Amino acid sequence: MSMDKKVDKLWKKILSEIQTEVSSANFLTLFKGTYLLSLEDNVATIAAPSTMIIDLLNKRYYTLIKDSVDANTGRENKLIFVPKTNGTVSSYTNDPPGPLFASNRQEKVFGHLPRVRPDYTFQNFAVSATNQLAYVSSQAVSKKIGTAYNPLFIYGPVGVGKTHLMQAVANEVYKNAPDKKILYMTSEDFTNDVVEAIRGNETAKMKKKFRNLDLLMIDDIQFIGGKERVQEELFHTFNILVDRASQIILTSDRAPQVLKKTEKRLISRFSGGLTVDIETPDFELRCAILLTKAKKYNFDLNIETAKIIAEKTEDTRELEGLLLRVMTEAATKEEAASPHLAKQVLLSSGFLRSKAFYPEDIIKEVCEFFKIKPAQLKGERRDAMLVRARHVCMFVLKKQGGLTYSEIGNLIGGRDHTTIMHGVEKIENLLTDANYRGDFLRMSFFAHLHVEKQTDLHPNS
Amino acid sequence: MLEAVILLENLKNGLSFVNHAISQRAQLPILLNFLIDGNKNGLFICATDLEIGIRIKIPAKVNKNGRIAVSAKTFLDLVTSITQEKVTISEKENNINLTTEKVKASFAKTPTDEFPSLYQEKGSKVAEFDKEEFKKETAKVVFSASLDIGRPALSGVYFEKQEADVGINLVAADGFRLSLRQGFAKKASSKKEPLKLIIPSRVIKEVLGVKEEDQKITLFTSSKSNQVVFGVGDTEVVGRLIESDYPDYKKIIPDDFDTKVYFDKPEAEDAVRSCLVFAREAANIIKLSIGNGKLKFSASSPQLGENEVEVDAKIEGEENEIAFNGRYLLDFLGAMESEDISFEMTGPLNPGVFRIPKEDNFLHIIMPIRIQE
Repeated sequence: MSMDKKVDKLWKKILSEIQTEVSSANFLTLFKGTYLLSLEDNVATIAAPSTMIIDLLNKRYYTLIKDSVDANTGRENKLIFVPKTNGTVSSYTNDPPGPLFASNRQEKVFGHLPRVRPDYTFQNFAVSATNQLAYVSSQAVSKKIGTAYNPLFIYGPVGVGKTHLMQAVANEVYKNAPDKKILYMTSEDFTNDVVEAIRGNETAKMKKKFRNLDLLMIDDIQFIGGKERVQEELFHTFNILVDRASQIILTSDRAPQVLKKTEKRLISRFSGGLTVDIETPDFELRCAILLTKAKKYNFDLNIETAKIIAEKTEDTRELEGLLLRVMTEAATKEEAASPHLAKQVLLSSGFLRSKAFYPEDIIKEVCEFFKIKPAQLKGERRDAMLVRARHVCMFVLKKQGGLTYSEIGNLIGGRDHTTIMHGVEKIENLLTDANYRGDFLRMSFFAHLHVEKQTDLHPNS
Repeated sequence: MLEAVILLENLKNGLSFVNHAISQRAQLPILLNFLIDGNKNGLFICATDLEIGIRIKIPAKVNKNGRIAVSAKTFLDLVTSITQEKVTISEKENNINLTTEKVKASFAKTPTDEFPSLYQEKGSKVAEFDKEEFKKETAKVVFSASLDIGRPALSGVYFEKQEADVGINLVAADGFRLSLRQGFAKKASSKKEPLKLIIPSRVIKEVLGVKEEDQKITLFTSSKSNQVVFGVGDTEVVGRLIESDYPDYKKIIPDDFDTKVYFDKPEAEDAVRSCLVFAREAANIIKLSIGNGKLKFSASSPQLGENEVEVDAKIEGEENEIAFNGRYLLDFLGAMESEDISFEMTGPLNPGVFRIPKEDNFLHIIMPIRIQE
């Protein structure tokens, strides 16, 4: 328990004692807004909202408070009162007070960067081995646009932070040189522009729009596949911009060489600069991302809780979603985020198997995997494969379903509970064996045993 | 044992002002009392609800020093019903007597030792304002402050001074509107150091109501006790400073506009008032339509009907439309002394800016209401 919490708890106790001694009018008026600031070197520093209240506390209740503080700490204390209100300081750091203060905040700073999120910056991008190259190259580009790497092509699966990095470049460039012309668009926007220009016979006008840019960013470029006119326009735009040393940044879900239905000359342009990929974030990075995001929301997230959440999903958007749910849950329950709370949230979001669980489904799944019939599984034959399937089934029913040994015995053809114990133990032993572990973990019904996979099954790690 | 002779007029005025610091909802019985204190410096009346405190010295002849506490309501009701000129207050063993030529009243005595002192020390003098200027300028600002104590910083008026000679910026806002008076009290003697004080709007409102001959308002603060004291002649208003950071108000001031309108304040005030008759049933929404040399105020309610009032206006820039909470418009227009007002806007969703054309140091911003066509 932290020092602050200890002090808070002590003060709550003292207040509850005082409450029994004074009239409720006095308590509400004088004691309600007080709190204990510190308790050090036998001096209790007590905060109260106004000097007038302090005057009354000093005059009438000094001894009463002192006696209670002394009794609770077991030593003689001196009391000092200071005028202070609880928790008002810095309450605006995150939450803008009302729509007026929220309204122009973004537009003002990022006035000419429409669609670029101001909070996508390098500072709040969590870096690890899976995305370090992309991070470093993006930073280099933001320092020397048009000259470092042109174009910069970032690719990787959903939710790994491609757009974040790209927009971080934009925000950085804008911060250092607000007069630079920056345009962020998705490939769909670009497509619409081209279609619009062709329809209005205004392709020249469109070219002009792009020609003056210093930085052009197109998100999800893979969607131009199969759109010939769009590709042609992009090709020309590309040439113009590269000629005048304007920076281009593209993102895609795959490498340029494997873009579908895309012209060769365009692909060669795409790969002409630097191509970097971002891999799915590893477990450590996911933890780091969670901690960064929690900080953004000014939420106190401890590492243990972060780990629990990070285990459950690889998609960073999903991570943020889960974090938000944990935060909401913590706020409504008025308790701190704990591993226990996180588990509850995960359970209710379907990331952890709930207690509603159907043994027959497990039996069916196991049988499908081993390509046998449930009757065979429940039967008496002791072929090696049938025995293995039976043991796996017992193990899953035990670990996931938490059934008792005799319940499992009844489900699998009325076997004795010692037989089941033996079966479960057998699989447990096999799981510690590296030769077998991989095979087991590939079985779909083991996927539900995520928690155990990370903890129970790795006794050596 | 107090004994003092007072002119009824002075007592009445003093009591009715000090009564502002009495909260009818006070939980502590002692806070429902006036403290009357006669000593060698004069006769003082004070009251507090622990949030603010008021002390006033009234002209009186103090024959014997003493301190008494009397029920504010009973005492004030009695005093306002008396018509004679002179009143004598005298403290006896078990009660307090109030006598005139014809009236003999006697009050129950309340022990005075439970009465809190308003402050231990006044603190240091931060600034001295010209009373008329202070009243005129703070009145343009203070109405914007939030009444919601859940947002402490916004429940106060922000006094901010960056450098010595630029004067003080007065700011008040409630999250939907903001008033800013820049360069206030440039000439007023004040300390050289930068100033950052959030003073509860209630304290400012009380200072605006002080009736004193004296032309100076002196501001004292004590950071140690986190308190602020305004002294005007024989009156003192005490409050506590709000400890919080004031939100960055400069960021939200638009630096450009597409449409600017000049109009006559009294005419607009009447228009808003008549639109509010219908708007009252529809979340107080009043629409402003700008175009064709006219500023049109309109409101409609599905149950009641609708109303449209045109106001002559000089328009620069594009035609435009915007909707505001009519209460905010009325609060703002009501607080303005100037006959001429200008209004600037960029679009129906961006905050609108009101100014006084001849005073470039004042502005008022209101957040529009998004309306569906």
